[in-house]
Amino acid sequence: MARHQGNKTNSELSLAEIVAKYPDFPRLIALKIDVQRRGVHYTERALAAVDYSIHQMRSPYLFGSRDGQIKDLPESLLLRDGTTILTDPTPPDQNPYHVDLVDGTFALIDNGQFVEFTDLWPKPLYYDKKTSTGIPMSHIASARPQRLNVFQSSYCHFWAEDQGCKFCDIVTHTKQQKSEKGVPTRLKPSDISETIKEAVKESGRFTNICLTSGSVLKGKELFDQEVDFYIETLQAIGENFTTKKFPSQLISSSFNEKQLARLYENTGLMSYTSDLEVLNEEVFNWVCPGKASKLGYQEWKNRLVRAVDIFGRGNVGTGLVSGSELALPHGFKSENDALKATLEEAEYLAERGVTTVYIVWVPRPGSYFHDQQNASLEYYVQKAQGLHNLRVKYNLGVDFDDYRRCGNHPDSDLSRLL
Amino acid sequence: MGTALTKEIVGLLTDSRTSKVLATVDEKGFPHAVAGVPLHIGEQGNLLYLEYFESSATNKNLTRSIWFDGVVAIALSNAGQSFQIKGRPIKNHITGPLFLKFYQEIRSIQGDVNLASVWEIEPVEIIDEGQDARREYEHTKRPFFTHLDRIAR
Ligand code: SF4
Repeated sequence: MARHQGNKTNSELSLAEIVAKYPDFPRLIALKIDVQRRGVHYTERALAAVDYSIHQMRSPYLFGSRDGQIKDLPESLLLRDGTTILTDPTPPDQNPYHVDLVDGTFALIDNGQFVEFTDLWPKPLYYDKKTSTGIPMSHIASARPQRLNVFQSSYCHFWAEDQGCKFCDIVTHTKQQKSEKGVPTRLKPSDISETIKEAVKESGRFTNICLTSGSVLKGKELFDQEVDFYIETLQAIGENFTTKKFPSQLISSSFNEKQLARLYENTGLMSYTSDLEVLNEEVFNWVCPGKASKLGYQEWKNRLVRAVDIFGRGNVGTGLVSGSELALPHGFKSENDALKATLEEAEYLAERGVTTVYIVWVPRPGSYFHDQQNASLEYYVQKAQGLHNLRVKYNLGVDFDDYRRCGNHPDSDLSRLL
Repeated sequence: MGTALTKEIVGLLTDSRTSKVLATVDEKGFPHAVAGVPLHIGEQGNLLYLEYFESSATNKNLTRSIWFDGVVAIALSNAGQSFQIKGRPIKNHITGPLFLKFYQEIRSIQGDVNLASVWEIEPVEIIDEGQDARREYEHTKRPFFTHLDRIAR
């Protein structure tokens, strides 16, 4: 495995070498990881073939992209096995994959070599509509191939105290998105409800609704106001369904049992995720100073375990921004150490019914870690396999956050086989 | 490289009386066969298998096949005709126009059913398994495979 050396790795294996070295790891998932690590550049020829009436173009998001720009480009890619790739436009000088046309079909190209055909995400019908208050519905809920994302508030209170997570660019991006595109930073429940109602009219299009936003520290108890916002939003969404519970995921701050019970009992929410981001207390304290000072690593973790009593095994998760645990100068010094520590902690959580997923860290210009580098492909492959193996060992599902309900976790892509 | 579906196969696939079986293999190599599967013909001449259940063994086996270049078998039989098609899953449509078309179509006919995937299977080999064809083959190509009483005076 590659070793981090002064923000660079040496002896990194290529995709072809990784596929040869790990024959039991699906090539398409390894490719997804590599495309996420390196990003994409759309060639002029590919862009000329984009059809705005059927392809989804980039829509508002909580976080920015690797080029720090908001351009009218395709949202992202789908592989032939149904794997979603969420990937960023990346300047050509950073060695991204190219999306080009081969025989009239979109394809991923690496240094001039054909790698794989790909589809662009299809545009949902509601993207052409506006709410009754005149807001484009794509600004209220952004679509993935099978999921609806609602970012009810794109401000994080940790930033106000200069304690944002070091890989995060939420506030930088929100400001840019607001000034360039007029995207609202707080959404009204009525606009959200109206948008969901319209989106689910497209029969067969969506399987899940995900809510997330920045942390809100206010309230009688820490995060009380954040819980209130989510309850209000989830109740508004719930108006559109005949069943009390509907397939949904909340990615939020770490709530106490009283807050979790309030959420579960008063809304249709079916799963709960609270991100530890890195699975090591020391590194967490450095990477996530706000989370560390307000609640602390151990309590964040304990609350996840307690959430299992409310939401059930396999319906509670934590997410990692994978690779940020290797950031310089206080991260792990080697990928081997990082992998070992991460899988040990993930096993502690899995034994207690909490599932761990990761996203591939993309160092973004608007974040503190803007000039750092993510990890090797081999590290991500081993980590995906390790997290999946834990789900197998502990018979732990991840249906709420799998290849289809989410699509952003190589490890839960593997768990399609569970 | 795929092989084209013959006229007989197209006829069998479009006949509702045809028995259609899809056999896949699990990670231990155990076969898993399902009868009465919904199969259609795609625009490129590939087979389209409608998978109703995300968690089914067939769906997982097809996923494993597309990941590791595995093959599946499809048996078609009707009124004395019997064919086996070996095929390779090449695409899993979980969204997009083809998926939505079938999703909406089956719900308009069958009511409240779910559709997980439309699997596109490229035929790589077609074998005539009908009695007449098998008999002719053994008679001409494998003449030792018989019993003597069948040719006794
Ligand atoms: S909690 Fe951390 S990762 Fe989440 S929005 Fe705030 S700063 Fe960003």
